[in-house]
Amino acid sequence: MTKNPPVVVIPQLVGPSDRIKRVLDRFVNTAPEICAERAVLITESYKETEGRPMPVRRAAALDKILSGMSIFIQDDEIVVGNQCSMPRSAPIFPEFSCQWVEEELDRLEKRTADVFLISEETKKKLRSAFEYWKGRTTNEIASQLMPAEALEAHNDVVYTVGNYFYNGVGHISADYAKVMNKGLDVIIAEAQAELDKLDFTDPEQLTKMHFLKSVIMANTAVIKFAKRFSDLAKSMAGKCKDKARKAELLEISRICAKVPAKPAETFQEALQSFWFVHLVIQIESNGHSISPMRFDQYMNPFYKADSIGSEKAQEMLDLLWVKFAELNKVRDESSTMAFAGYPMFMNLIVGGVRRDGSDATNDMSFLVLQAGANTKLYAPSLSIRIHEGTPDALYKKAAELSRMGMGYPAYYNDRVIIPALLARGLEREDARDYGIIGCVEPQVGGKTEGWHDAAFFNMAKIIELCLNDGVDKRTGKQIGPKSGRLEDFKSFDDLMASYAVQTEYFVRLMAAADNAVDMTHAKHCPLPFLSSLVADCIAEGRSLQEGGAHYNFTGPQGVGVANAGDSLTAVRKLVFDEKKLTLEELREVLETDFEGREDIRQMLLNRAPKYGNDNDYADDIAREAALVYCREVDRYTNPRGGKFQPGLYPASANVPLGSVVTATPDGRKAWTPLADGVSPISGCDTCGPTASVLSVAKLDHEIASNGTLLNQKFHPSAIEGDKGLENLKSVTETYFQNGGFHVQYNVISRETLEEAQANPEKYKGLVVRVAGYSAFFTALDKSLQDDIIARTEQTF
Amino acid sequence: MTGIESMKTWKERQHSFDLEDRNKAAVTGLVFDIQRFAVHDGGGIRTLVFLKGCPLSCRWCQNPESMSPRPEIMRIPHLCIGCVKCVAECPDQAIRFREGGTVTIDRAVCSLCGECVERCYAGSMTIVGRYMTVGDVMAEVERDRPFYTTSQGGVTFSGGEPTMQPEFLIAALKEAHARGLHTAIETCAQVSRETWAAVIEHVDLILTDIKHMDSARHKELTGVSNGRILGNLKMAANMGKNLRIRVPLIPGCNDGPENILATSEFVGSLGAAVEGLDILPYHRLGEPKWAQLDREYPLHGVLPLDREEVLAVKRLAEKNLGNVTIGG
Repeated sequence: MTKNPPVVVIPQLVGPSDRIKRVLDRFVNTAPEICAERAVLITESYKETEGRPMPVRRAAALDKILSGMSIFIQDDEIVVGNQCSMPRSAPIFPEFSCQWVEEELDRLEKRTADVFLISEETKKKLRSAFEYWKGRTTNEIASQLMPAEALEAHNDVVYTVGNYFYNGVGHISADYAKVMNKGLDVIIAEAQAELDKLDFTDPEQLTKMHFLKSVIMANTAVIKFAKRFSDLAKSMAGKCKDKARKAELLEISRICAKVPAKPAETFQEALQSFWFVHLVIQIESNGHSISPMRFDQYMNPFYKADSIGSEKAQEMLDLLWVKFAELNKVRDESSTMAFAGYPMFMNLIVGGVRRDGSDATNDMSFLVLQAGANTKLYAPSLSIRIHEGTPDALYKKAAELSRMGMGYPAYYNDRVIIPALLARGLEREDARDYGIIGCVEPQVGGKTEGWHDAAFFNMAKIIELCLNDGVDKRTGKQIGPKSGRLEDFKSFDDLMASYAVQTEYFVRLMAAADNAVDMTHAKHCPLPFLSSLVADCIAEGRSLQEGGAHYNFTGPQGVGVANAGDSLTAVRKLVFDEKKLTLEELREVLETDFEGREDIRQMLLNRAPKYGNDNDYADDIAREAALVYCREVDRYTNPRGGKFQPGLYPASANVPLGSVVTATPDGRKAWTPLADGVSPISGCDTCGPTASVLSVAKLDHEIASNGTLLNQKFHPSAIEGDKGLENLKSVTETYFQNGGFHVQYNVISRETLEEAQANPEKYKGLVVRVAGYSAFFTALDKSLQDDIIARTEQTF
Repeated sequence: MTGIESMKTWKERQHSFDLEDRNKAAVTGLVFDIQRFAVHDGGGIRTLVFLKGCPLSCRWCQNPESMSPRPEIMRIPHLCIGCVKCVAECPDQAIRFREGGTVTIDRAVCSLCGECVERCYAGSMTIVGRYMTVGDVMAEVERDRPFYTTSQGGVTFSGGEPTMQPEFLIAALKEAHARGLHTAIETCAQVSRETWAAVIEHVDLILTDIKHMDSARHKELTGVSNGRILGNLKMAANMGKNLRIRVPLIPGCNDGPENILATSEFVGSLGAAVEGLDILPYHRLGEPKWAQLDREYPLHGVLPLDREEVLAVKRLAEKNLGNVTIGG
């Protein structure tokens, strides 16, 4: 591996074409709707296949959906293939859970976030379909399988296993390259070859037979689905008066007759083949975070072999980006509070090292970042891998994109992630070949069933329980072990011991809850198409859900590291070290949510060190609080034969998880959100971004191999000009040299500053950078804050 | 867990105040702020150390708490939670709580004992300025060393006027150099030639203001004439020191075309030592601090220039100079 960044030639990059502008305009003016087709078709199929082996039923259902659903090709489209009967619409997946859909049907149009239009006709169809599913959904089956106390702790939100309890698993990257390079015909042939080898007298091999047959059925269904588009394009071409468009439609027709069954040759064929795979995975199951991963690596050879040039290729990519954004998913109303903005978490990453350890940057790396800049869409989620040899040009392109304020790309540190994956048993070349799933979860694509969003573990609730002898103060119930009351603790060590006892108890229950859900998916929801695109399912004759993948993990996340750490720190500092506060006083103010005792809350907030300020006292305790959780998670094994591995990121669960936790000793008021990811508590990082990232780097990011997440905010004044790009790079680089895992940047917008005006406490650390000047934004009066707000979007 | 408490961070120093700190064995400086991740005060990512006390009294001063060379009490009203502990605990009875929530401080009576600072958990009552040793300051500066390496940054001493505390400043600059750090100062250059020469020997980059080219007008605006300042700049240029000249562009004070042309011409005459001219547009962010010190802001009501006006000044300066930027 070279330490000197290679010299790269940046391909010519072009802005959005007129066609892209038209398509983007159409996209933003399309209202998402609910589509009943998938729900109706799968229900019919399940009724027809009662009693047949489950993999076969799943494949038959997929065939029924792909053959029966409406398809369309929109004006200006080059890559074709739709998820629902209308663009941006969401299908329903009743086999996972549908009770909440039924209850919320009339709310979907009226809720505040992620609104979906729905017709009365659609509601009627759905209600009728749902009748069949009562008692049959994976959600209902898994809740029967779970130990009662594990389900109770889930309901009390000590943790939530909600993701896969109510939905499909998703969180995977298929072997897209295999489909583009070999075609689905080859996958069918592989399954057939395995089938031919089986000895049906062996009961285990008989089970394999059903799975392998389902693979052939599912892949055949996908080829038929592509053929439908070929036919549609041909008939549209026949009626098309515009000569140029007619030629495009005929080309689409030719391509859809060829891929994904056969290997792709041109760039457009490769994109189309990729898209059919990506699309059908979404239709087969409703998991989110289906991630394309190392798109620049598998797509670049097709681009280089084609003579279309960067301008045309860029337009095709930009069009594909809109296709990504058109995929949609409906979530229940309470989840939309946490996941607003129709996110699908489809993570697409560029850069990093190749399997041989050399720098992986190529033309496509740049074109992909440019597509993010051209479309400014929330999907796909763009990421970049950083290693010692990342070329400056790519770093700079990424920094420019960060500065645009969309929150991407996210940066990932090869120097921490590769060793972390090696420690989890990945082979060296696989570890180097990692990509990112969903939010921040690393894995090697096409080989792993990572179950990355297995649960969110409420570290702040653990603080509440460890201070209250295992009693949930919200409900008054004794839910945890009796680990001691606050006033009984003689030392900080007693408190830490209580924290460890509660963590141990609830991590154990969480593992049981996860495994119950895992077993349910294996038995009731195997996914033959997806399984056929992940090694070693075909060779093993087992679906992904039954453990057919080469690598298997379960990754539950700790949420509220900063709240747990800062709470423990405050007690240690103010009660045990300085004796400014007694345990009785502390208990009282926490129970009354600081009512009438704002002075004590201010003491807790301002007189105890806070994680995020490069203060070792607070940082060491935050690190320990995180480690207690991570070490516990490390102990467990899942039914697929894989290990549990911890992560420290929240998606947006820090809001709902905070809503069940009483006041905490970090000065946080009851029921308010927790800190996000491994980020410091909002408003508590008052020493600026350098101190903040040095603090966060002190956590053990390697053990948290399921991912950690740091959001770092900048006022535009801090990153203006070429110098600003260099500073952004320096912050990333220093964080990574010190052992950070992931960072993404939010550029503070007018809206954020307005919020800071309204809620100064949360933004205490916000500094507007002016030469030689010293003050915080929230220390200014309203009219001056208005000045800055006015200047924010117009930096000199 | 280490369990070892590291040296107090700058932030933790704000929780208490002890006037006796000035009598430490080692040489101490009076520091009123340390800001990490400063990006407009010399190259790269820097730590900015603000020293208290200034020989000038510019009417637009953005850090009025820096003017006096002594510690002084300052109250940030919107942080006050009304617990009135400051009133109750003040042994001098210098703090009064009035009906309607206003708090007044009798600065003549205040002995800077720090009791109110210690009791004010919300951070509303503060004393500006801490006596620190070079070692104290360096401990804070060292924390961001990794960023200086990746960004070619370093430490900048600002103010106030850092050369007002020459013994401390020179010791700190020497120590920074001994530790391999890039050093910069933000200075008004109103200092004796001898001190100036002794200071800049240890400085890699001098950031200095030219407030006005007309000496009489300079005196009206800042309290001193500009002869010594311009002389010191020439001397630094002759010594081949790296200079960045800055013009705080203050509406109605120094933004006339004549002064801009004269300034840029002078800067041009300094030759190759000057790496650039920064135009720092007037802003009002310092105004609330004047009130927090019970002082009247001389430029109350003056509005910032709009973008076009600033760009016009930039174009004017570019008639004489190549490298003119807006902002630091």
